[in-house]
Amino acid sequence: MNKKELMNNKYFIAALFLLPAVLFSLVYLIIPIPLSAYYSFFKWDGIGAMKFLGLENWAELLNDPIFWSSMANNFKLVAISLVVQIPIALFLAVLLTRKIKGADFFKTIYFVPMLLSSIAVAFLWRYMYDPTFGLINGVLNLVGLEQLTRSWLGNPDIAFYSVAAPIQWRFIPLYMIIFMAGISNIPEQLYEAAEIDGASNLQSFFFVTLPMLRSTVVNASVLIIVGSLKYFAMIFALTGGGPNHASELMATYLYSKSFTEMNMGYGSTISVALFLVALIVSVVFLRFSKKDVRN
Amino acid sequence: MKNVSILSLALLMVFSLVFAGTVMAQDEVTLTLWDIRTAADQATPAVKDAIKRFEADNPNVNIEHVPTQNDNYKTKLRTAMSADNAPDLFMTWGSASLERYVDAGKVYSLQPHMTEDWRNNFMPAAMDLGIVDSEVYGVPVTNVSPALVWYREDLFEKHGLEVPATYEELVNVVNVFKENGITPFALANKNKWPGSMYFMYLVDRIGGPDALQKAISREGAFNDQPFIEAGRRIQELVKMGAFPRGVNGLDENASQSRTLLYTDRAAMYLMGSWAYSGFKNEAPDMVDQFNFFNFPEIKSGEGDPSNLVGTPGDNYYSVSTKAENKEAAVEFLHYLTDSKMGEELIAIGNIPPFRGVGEKIEDPIMKKIYNTSQKANHIQLWYDQTLPLELAQVHLNTTQALFGLEMTPEEAANKMEAAAKKYYGE
Repeated sequence: MNKKELMNNKYFIAALFLLPAVLFSLVYLIIPIPLSAYYSFFKWDGIGAMKFLGLENWAELLNDPIFWSSMANNFKLVAISLVVQIPIALFLAVLLTRKIKGADFFKTIYFVPMLLSSIAVAFLWRYMYDPTFGLINGVLNLVGLEQLTRSWLGNPDIAFYSVAAPIQWRFIPLYMIIFMAGISNIPEQLYEAAEIDGASNLQSFFFVTLPMLRSTVVNASVLIIVGSLKYFAMIFALTGGGPNHASELMATYLYSKSFTEMNMGYGSTISVALFLVALIVSVVFLRFSKKDVRN
Repeated sequence: MKNVSILSLALLMVFSLVFAGTVMAQDEVTLTLWDIRTAADQATPAVKDAIKRFEADNPNVNIEHVPTQNDNYKTKLRTAMSADNAPDLFMTWGSASLERYVDAGKVYSLQPHMTEDWRNNFMPAAMDLGIVDSEVYGVPVTNVSPALVWYREDLFEKHGLEVPATYEELVNVVNVFKENGITPFALANKNKWPGSMYFMYLVDRIGGPDALQKAISREGAFNDQPFIEAGRRIQELVKMGAFPRGVNGLDENASQSRTLLYTDRAAMYLMGSWAYSGFKNEAPDMVDQFNFFNFPEIKSGEGDPSNLVGTPGDNYYSVSTKAENKEAAVEFLHYLTDSKMGEELIAIGNIPPFRGVGEKIEDPIMKKIYNTSQKANHIQLWYDQTLPLELAQVHLNTTQALFGLEMTPEEAANKMEAAAKKYYGE
């Protein structure tokens, strides 16, 4: 094949354009997975020599109560995020795609949390949660609800829910935008037909909008599930997984094991476990949601 | 004649090439320096000035200074070290934090450069923590900083209180403040190390410095009586309300502890002597109201009340084995530890770990810190720097759990001992 033919071959051109992306994902996304699996068989502090342990790290993982409680927290976060983010995002999306005054203004306002960096949001909430000077306890004191004031991040019983709240606040706009795009793709005729059939607003939502958005909602749910399973940033910034692991997630636990305690082998074990959990859950979820479509 | 001119021309060319070569090589010297001297760190101006002075005297050398915030710095350095990407010059806290990298062959020995003069420049107690296997690997630079009990003099006066000399008196002070709606101790323990200071002092006052030494050398154990008793007293203080509510959720890095002091909501603050520069920066109009006392004595205990917990050098600067231009790097360390640096550190409010600085200090509080450090029978380095990393984290986690009343003193001590047994392979 000469040069000219090569340049005319569309597969070659496509491959050429794909090459940088493929290389990038190989080096940063694909190769690290088997590499982590490999490290999980060693005791390694990241600096010195590696010592082969066999399955010892994995045995330890299965008997590690903190790992299990952090995994439970991850699933709690999945549940909370699904229940809170999808309905609110859907509600806002429906509201903002209607022809109401100032919709553009509200669109911008509602999108702001998404534009802020996670760490900035975490600091914002850290100061709101301050038990003495914070906004939340301040307002509660002001309106005479002293008995409701809490040390939001210091009390192990509620610390997890306190850090889950800003996560919801920050990610609702993302799904709101996704749903808005989905709604604008629904053909206008369907609503007109529904109106002619005498459907109320509520009925046209449940019988037109929601079924038409089905695949969008499923995709958003997968994003939420995977995102919640590997979530890290704001929990790390707000509590670091504490107090006493009360708000620990798999990712924060893996971070403190690998980088604070410098136990890279065990950290890799957690990361592979996290990968497996996320993989299994999303595959199962997609399988089930597909089945429903066929029925 | 022709031959001569060709020869001279050739020679000239060789010369100019060599010359150009050396000039080029000289131009290219860049030393990277990693430390925690961010804009918020009080020692930053002094280090920046040392860099400036060094660069002025060595125009061919350029120092690329990369500061990183404390907690992130540790992670960054470890990651770089493990990836063999160590900077030319870096900073540690001496002792175990330095030893780890020395053992992995990442640190260049300064022993051949240790002239009598340079060595005598440092306080011996400070120098000790930069020595591994009787060779110097790091030089102390920034601060002699023991943890001290800072207090608001005006609040003590207002409630007719004296500085407590014994634990019983401290309990009384705590009670009086509590009754008057003031949180006795400002503490933010999300970060775990601030709470650890109480534990370290209590262990020292109960069992003396030997308690920890014996536990490390494995003649004793981490669940010996002093450790359990220290945990018990911490929980006693927690139950009395000596600390802010939800103390494990407050962030020391976000000043959530000191804010309580500045707003009259708390009266005492166990913290390293660096707190004093914090007061100066954050509350300049009330800085006269701050003073400190040594952690009180426990009558039944063995610890000498002059003993301090802290660091005699704070930050140690080292050269990595990866550095291509070690001579220049060592030369820079001289600028970091010369008398000009000492004066600037004093001006900032630090006590440099250099000899003969006592008479140069004018600020009465700083003079008091200096004298307190000199008088100390023993300075115990922070546990999280003394202990190997694996145990340091268990110590910090169990101590935080003690403050949260989530573990009994026995549980915490047994957990620590179990981790030690595992680490030392017993």
